[in-house]
Amino acid sequence: MMEMTHTISSNDCLMQLFEERREIEDYQKGVPRWCTGCGDNAILTAVQRLCRDEGLLPEKTVFVSGIGCSSRLPHYMNTYGFHGIHGRALPVAEGVKMARPDLSVFVNTGDGDCCSIGAAHWIHAVRYNMDLTMMLHDNQIYGLTKMQASPTSPIGTKSNTTPRGSYLEALNPLTVTLGISNVSFVAQVVDWIPEVLYQVIAAAYRHKGFSFVRIIQRCPEWMPKLMDPWLHDPDRVLLLHHENGVEISSSLARTYTRMEEHDPRNMNRAREIASEYDPIPVGILYRNPDIACYEDLRHDPRLRTNSMVQSGIEAEFDKFTVWPEQHGSTR
Amino acid sequence: MQGKLQIQLAFHLTGTINGGGLQRIPEGLVPALFSRISDLAELRYDLPMVLNTIGSPERSLLSLSHMVDEVVCRLADTPECDRIARHGYRIESEIRRSLATAGESTLSDSWKSAAESLSGGDGDLILDSAWVLESEFFAAGSVTDLDRDTPALVMRHIWRALNEQRTASFRNRIDRLLYKLHNILDAETVGSAIGRSPDRLRASVGSAFDSAFNFDALSNILTAAKPETTISDRRRERIKWLIDVLERQQFYAGRDEKGDSYCFIFERPSDALKAHNERYPAAVELAKALAVAELEAAGEYREGLHDPIFEFFGSNGLTSSDREQLPSYLICTDAGSLDPAETSKLLEILAVGLPFKVLVRTDDVLEPSELAEGHLSLGLRARQLVDTAIGLTDVFVFQAAASSIFRCRSKLISGLSFAGPALFSVFSGDTRTNGDTPAYLTAEAATESRVFPSLFYDPDGGSDRASRLSIENNPQPDVDWPAYSIDYEDESIRAHKIETAFTPVDLMVMDQRFSSHFALVPHEDWIDEMIPVPEVLAADMSPGDDKVPYVDLIDDDGILHRAIVDTRAIDEARRCLRIWQSLRESGRSDNPHNKPSSDLEVEVSIESDRASDASLSKSSNGSSAAEERPAGESKGVSAGDGSPYIESARCTSCNECTHINAKMFAYDDNKQAYIADPDAGTFRQLVEAAEGCQVSIIHPGVPRNPKEPGIEDLIVRAAAFN
Repeated sequence: MMEMTHTISSNDCLMQLFEERREIEDYQKGVPRWCTGCGDNAILTAVQRLCRDEGLLPEKTVFVSGIGCSSRLPHYMNTYGFHGIHGRALPVAEGVKMARPDLSVFVNTGDGDCCSIGAAHWIHAVRYNMDLTMMLHDNQIYGLTKMQASPTSPIGTKSNTTPRGSYLEALNPLTVTLGISNVSFVAQVVDWIPEVLYQVIAAAYRHKGFSFVRIIQRCPEWMPKLMDPWLHDPDRVLLLHHENGVEISSSLARTYTRMEEHDPRNMNRAREIASEYDPIPVGILYRNPDIACYEDLRHDPRLRTNSMVQSGIEAEFDKFTVWPEQHGSTR
Repeated sequence: MQGKLQIQLAFHLTGTINGGGLQRIPEGLVPALFSRISDLAELRYDLPMVLNTIGSPERSLLSLSHMVDEVVCRLADTPECDRIARHGYRIESEIRRSLATAGESTLSDSWKSAAESLSGGDGDLILDSAWVLESEFFAAGSVTDLDRDTPALVMRHIWRALNEQRTASFRNRIDRLLYKLHNILDAETVGSAIGRSPDRLRASVGSAFDSAFNFDALSNILTAAKPETTISDRRRERIKWLIDVLERQQFYAGRDEKGDSYCFIFERPSDALKAHNERYPAAVELAKALAVAELEAAGEYREGLHDPIFEFFGSNGLTSSDREQLPSYLICTDAGSLDPAETSKLLEILAVGLPFKVLVRTDDVLEPSELAEGHLSLGLRARQLVDTAIGLTDVFVFQAAASSIFRCRSKLISGLSFAGPALFSVFSGDTRTNGDTPAYLTAEAATESRVFPSLFYDPDGGSDRASRLSIENNPQPDVDWPAYSIDYEDESIRAHKIETAFTPVDLMVMDQRFSSHFALVPHEDWIDEMIPVPEVLAADMSPGDDKVPYVDLIDDDGILHRAIVDTRAIDEARRCLRIWQSLRESGRSDNPHNKPSSDLEVEVSIESDRASDASLSKSSNGSSAAEERPAGESKGVSAGDGSPYIESARCTSCNECTHINAKMFAYDDNKQAYIADPDAGTFRQLVEAAEGCQVSIIHPGVPRNPKEPGIEDLIVRAAAFN
């Protein structure tokens, strides 16, 4: 059997080609425990479609998450996953990518996870510009712990931690990200336009570098009516399109008539758009493929062979090993 | 009959009694509407008030009856609640009675003495109830009934409460700045050669470790390691000046409450203005010092940039934000003592926007005109001031009778906290020309009769006049007069009901100075031509109508009387009505003159849009309904035969419909929902799925089984989604 894996016959190649055509079901695992109506379902569907359409190998794909409703996503993907600790999805993902640059690494995090406890990691992840696809599931509330105000909750949000309404203006994740050096990909989508959601996540995946996608999503349980004015009025969504960005289909253009041609290379305009919240800008705000990735800058030309990994581990162990002969002591 | 009418008409027109049984109103008669409130001490109402010294300024003015009610509510679940409440009401009533004779006292004293005077039959229990209630009040301070001094007392009390709050925050700010400024100077000393000398180092370490260190060596190392840090002489001088100004400021009391701080409460506008002018250089100096100190503390003072600005700081007057840092001036004066010179000073103060809070107390709203006998000018002085102040547009104006001070306390607090000038016109009710009528009743009567209506003008209230002006605190503000009914019985014990209103004529009849305008008509001379004053005021009557207006009065025995009124009093009441109507008009939001012009333009364009929409929908023959549907519903994949469908491309895969019926609703290759089998479930499930769908993309179509239970209702519900 061992020989089989080393020498691949033409028959096996055909078998592999046949097998690599996967369906959405091949990437599904379990039944999501999210509330019905939750925007997380739309994001899950979009990434499953992406995996299928890009033909990602489940064993070469990793979904890393922190803590929160959004962070349950790896459980429902039939790929590798890492359900990390609160706010620390990005360091884990960076570690994975550093050690295994051949893997496709996705990060799913929520507004509390990323913008509050994980804010420092978020800033440095943007700066490191490692080839990761980050999805910020922004439902503007802590849902898993049953309704506490998050940094992106609109001012005046009544929650368990802010019973008299939140006191601070919401943080704008787009303007923050656009203000960090080495930023290379920033986009915003809403969960209720699946077509654009899919296209933007696909563009983010194809971008070489750290791609930041903020997904405004509805929370039917704790913020049920929050997004309704935007949901029911297509004129309150501004679709950004460009030949280097997202192309809008004619059927979508009939519904969402408010559009702007925006070159994702134009940082100044991107910052202006990012500051707007009504209408909600949807599309790719900024993309610069020319920024070096950290894993490339720190690339180690040595092959990561088994013997090399083993010798590395041995060298580490040796630091703590006691050599009786050397010290003249006996057991 | 004819003779009686002639005599009464003659009085009505000329104000002269010419026989016929008419007589001047004897003492003891009061307007009939007072029948129910003959003894105020028996009633529970806002007074007495407690000038509370505990807690936030919002709780600085309390009403004794509200306090008792609050505690009773809080104790509702305790077994003794009924007994405590009963005793509480008795003590409260006793305090009200004793205050009417004894005057102001502290809450705890009057509460204890009232309880002690009542204890006896119930023994210790009433004292126990009194103790329980008092311990739950969370209030202390003086208890006051209503008299001439009350408005000023209340104003001064609230002003002090607010100023204490400001003082505390100012002190914190000063402490922070002084700490930072001292730190800058200290840092220089520490970094200097003196600061690093062996002796200094030894002193700073303390004697316990004296032998552990070689301070000479330490000093050498420190001196060699880092060059001496110095700040420029100019900066040192500046910081010393800042510390000096901040430490010797007199606008706020110091932390130890010692030292001379300025007094900000005055009785005459000229005194306040004089004090303000004298302190102006100090105010400019302090405002400048605060601004510079903030910059210094943040390390942001750049001499090149800031020196030229601060050199001439304040020469163009202080800005409003500079003034807000300093206490406001409170002037408590009364309309009687405001001579023309003082009035012009007062108007000047209001007009230039100085942060002065002016209370003008009026004791007499019926003051007869000095010009000629018989000419009336109800509420003239107060009205003049208030109208002028409102006309200035940036003055906070508060007008209310003293009886409603407690009800309007939030306005009082916002007026005192307002950034600019504020005018408080208060009618004390203590007129002293209306017999034994208590001040509270007179004050209420002035509000009820619209002679002294409650009104508030808050310049920050909104963009148009209607939102800045509020007359909501008046009784029945939407009508000309507040209407009431009186029940009485005649000689044959038959019940009657009079629908009447309280008008300025009722207010005048209470005042002895106006007795010549009224004549009492004996019961036997009551004729059909006599009609109540409110009816006369409502109709525009001419002298040829042969009608005589009258007011209902009652005496101490509760017997109803009628007094006819002369034309002069009626004319004055009508004038009051017109003023009230114009006030109501300008306070109404639907008055087009109250809106800024841009709003009007928007409204017009909305109107025209609506008109064009209406014509469009007519011309398109009813197809507009389809256009009004939410996003994208028109582009669904409908077979057009009424079968249900889903706009799959817009589905967010949220499982809402598949949870309802997984056979009817299924996911396609892209995991987006479609209707797999419309016959796999009921029409009800289709409608419920459509209603539950967050993005409204399910269209139930027409029912396939018309016999389904409740189908009519479901069709109606489905219509919203088809």
